Amino acid sequence: MGTAPLTPTTSKTWGPLRLAVPPLPLGGEGRRILNPHAGSPTYHLPSTVYRFPHFCLLVFAFCILTCSISLAAPRPHLITRWENYTIANGMPDAKVFCVTVDGPRVWAGTENGLVLIQNGKVAKVYLPADGLAHRAVMGIAVDRSTDDLWIATFGGISHFSGGHFENFTNLTSGLLNDICYGIAVVDRSVWVATTAGVSRYNTLSGEWSSWSEKNAPFHEPWAYGIAPAGNKMYFAIWGGGLLEYDVQGNYWKPYTDPDEEMEIVLFKNQGLIHIIVSNVAWNPDTRMIWASTYFGLSGYDGRNWHNYLSKDSGLASDFINAPKSRRNEVWACTDKGLSMLDYTTNTWVTYRPGKQKGQGEIEITWPDGRKQKLTTDTALAHNYILNMDFQGEDIWVATALGLSHGIRDSEKEIQLYASFTNSQRIGNNPTGRFQKGN
Amino acid sequence: MRRPLLFALLLVAVAIPMTAQQYKDTEDTPKDTVIKRDETVKPDSRYANMPDEAVPYRRFTKPYYDWFVREDTLEYHGAADKRPDGNPAQLNEIAIGFMSPIENNPESIFGIPELHGAQLALEQANARGGYKGKPYALKIHNESALWGASSAELVKMLFNENCWAMLGCVDGQNCHISLRVSLKLEVPIIDVGTTDPTVTETRIPWLLHDFPDDRQQGYTLADYVFKALRLKRIAVLRTQTRYARIGVAKFNDEARRMGRQPVLEVKFERGDKDFTHQLQMLRDAKVEGIVLWGEATEAGLILKQMRQMGMKQPVFGSSRLAHSPLLEVAGPAAEGLVVTAALDPTRKDPKWQAFRDAYRQKFNEEPIDYAAYAYDGMNLLIASINKAGLNRGRIMDALRDYQMKTYQGVAGTIYFDHTLNNLAPVNLARVKDGKFEYWLAPRQHGHEGDKTGVRD
Repeated sequence: MGTAPLTPTTSKTWGPLRLAVPPLPLGGEGRRILNPHAGSPTYHLPSTVYRFPHFCLLVFAFCILTCSISLAAPRPHLITRWENYTIANGMPDAKVFCVTVDGPRVWAGTENGLVLIQNGKVAKVYLPADGLAHRAVMGIAVDRSTDDLWIATFGGISHFSGGHFENFTNLTSGLLNDICYGIAVVDRSVWVATTAGVSRYNTLSGEWSSWSEKNAPFHEPWAYGIAPAGNKMYFAIWGGGLLEYDVQGNYWKPYTDPDEEMEIVLFKNQGLIHIIVSNVAWNPDTRMIWASTYFGLSGYDGRNWHNYLSKDSGLASDFINAPKSRRNEVWACTDKGLSMLDYTTNTWVTYRPGKQKGQGEIEITWPDGRKQKLTTDTALAHNYILNMDFQGEDIWVATALGLSHGIRDSEKEIQLYASFTNSQRIGNNPTGRFQKGN
Repeated sequence: MRRPLLFALLLVAVAIPMTAQQYKDTEDTPKDTVIKRDETVKPDSRYANMPDEAVPYRRFTKPYYDWFVREDTLEYHGAADKRPDGNPAQLNEIAIGFMSPIENNPESIFGIPELHGAQLALEQANARGGYKGKPYALKIHNESALWGASSAELVKMLFNENCWAMLGCVDGQNCHISLRVSLKLEVPIIDVGTTDPTVTETRIPWLLHDFPDDRQQGYTLADYVFKALRLKRIAVLRTQTRYARIGVAKFNDEARRMGRQPVLEVKFERGDKDFTHQLQMLRDAKVEGIVLWGEATEAGLILKQMRQMGMKQPVFGSSRLAHSPLLEVAGPAAEGLVVTAALDPTRKDPKWQAFRDAYRQKFNEEPIDYAAYAYDGMNLLIASINKAGLNRGRIMDALRDYQMKTYQGVAGTIYFDHTLNNLAPVNLARVKDGKFEYWLAPRQHGHEGDKTGVRD
């Protein structure tokens, strides 16, 4: 009673999923308010209802709320099909460190060169012989104003323009170090996260600026990732936490692990969960910053920190190589699969290769901790995820054994959910497992 | 008027016991003796054999989550083992990278013995037939004093020299940046020389570390200074380096949590010759003892100048002081100095004796701790390659098998915890009659590891 018949919208457009909430059985005068932060609908009741005894009303409302929270969480969209790019179909190396989408073009950084994927196939591989600074490509950024590429490698950075590479190294430029992990382009500035700090190159003036423990609050200078956020830049610092730089104000603000101990998380939402930050992502929609660590996931909304461990959430693993975030989604590239948190509903979805060869596994962790497993006919290339990017509603995922293109198919998604519902109705679970959450 | 006075008295009465929430000497703690272990505490139940007093926030709350105490701490889920194996038939040699301060670096006094230890182990392995008849070859890289310059060495080892693993490190920073590269490129690292405790606290499953770190040294020293000797007013004198900054932190942490916060922390630059200003500050602070974290040569000068100034306080120090340059520089002023020592070279066990004889014969010098741990580390690596074959992923799998196991090396018993860090009890050494006298100083929760898990 009172349970909403929840089905995803069958609309072809992939907007935020709408919750189908039944009219209140109180003369239809109830007014539903969706609170985006509460994760479940709340109700404002008209004054006419006060003719009922208050006690009954409270019990009834409690029942509805409980049911709606535990059983009626909106179903998250699913990646239903995977297409993989491996050595077998043209990739120069199995290990893919990074991926960046540029409209219809997809760029992947591998242990052996830069790869362009276009029209569903490996279109071109760029190696040091072609002018690339180094074979190990760690980061790729697109300059939206010129469509040029900036590439971070283990031998400096490359600027790819008009089919030609121009390289910058520690010896030939103001770049702090040749071991470069992350790169970002904002207006005329190219930002580079190097193992010796952060470098910035002005593409117009050719001027280099650098920050390290010598001139900024770097506890350690080992920069790992970059996230532009309006007039601010965020940097993931290994051993130095998260650093915020106000570009116009020219000042730094560090976020570090408040317990100051490597071996513990003192409180769940204590602040940044750990001082070793592996990467960082900015969500322009929610204006939240997300930091991945090898000790869990941290998000900061400007007022509070929101931390997640695999023990208290649907996160596949605490070992996270990179986060990515947009709309109400937070993606975590872990060593045990790709996890997505629907931040609004606190529902998790994890993708990983299934136990049967070729099959994929989707594990949904509902807000009440229940877990549900679904099986897909195709799978991620590998469970060890290093990076990802969005392409419309699709995603591209860099794994230890190839690049995966994750595709959303609304019809298939309905079938997947229906298969589970049907199997439950006849007391059978096609996925073989439906375990109680932690 | 009386009410505020009463209130103030009440406040003082409450505050005194609160501030006294600190380490209390028990009357039955004998002076100048080793501390007995609490046998009721299981050795592996607490990270890094942490003494009670060193547990962070123990008076306030239990942490939401504890890292490094579970078997999955370094669990690896990547695909390194899926990469093609090396074929010995197509190789002329089995390359192993080596990176340590060899030249243009003041720490080459540790790096060169480290190199010699590694070379001796490889020479002996090659005498036994190498790997499937192919000799092991060391690819030597210098760990630059300007640490950023060493950042690309591991990259070169993999792509230019086809190294199957890297061994070395003295400086914690260089080891950290190599570790970050190894996370991406997946090359096993055997760290045989850093004392930086954070190197093994990253969860990166590509490193094994066998040298006693500063956490273990700091706890050992704090036990000795505050429990055995029951000193209360301590000062820290250290070099202005990352080695000393990170190194002394764990000693300071435990001291603070015991209510024995060092009253002063004074720094000096590496290479300084005159320490009058720093010593005057310590004298004026009326400290009962001084903890020195730095290098042997400067420490020797400090001891000399201290005694010349009439300062008679006992001095304690870290393992880098347990070397002959200190005795040479300080002379009689070194008498009574107590330091942690990574190695007891006066041991009589046959493994150590055989290593020392072979080392002396080959290099015409006495082996120091860095040589012994490099030798042990290289033997661990060779055993792992022999077991796993030429596949970096499987070599690291074999190294990870040492987790929670004991290895009997020439440096002594090595006990690896869940982070593949050596937690074996640390030696203490006292200067007496111009020589170091060693003794094993088990800490309150110290242990030698699980005897059932011994691996060679």
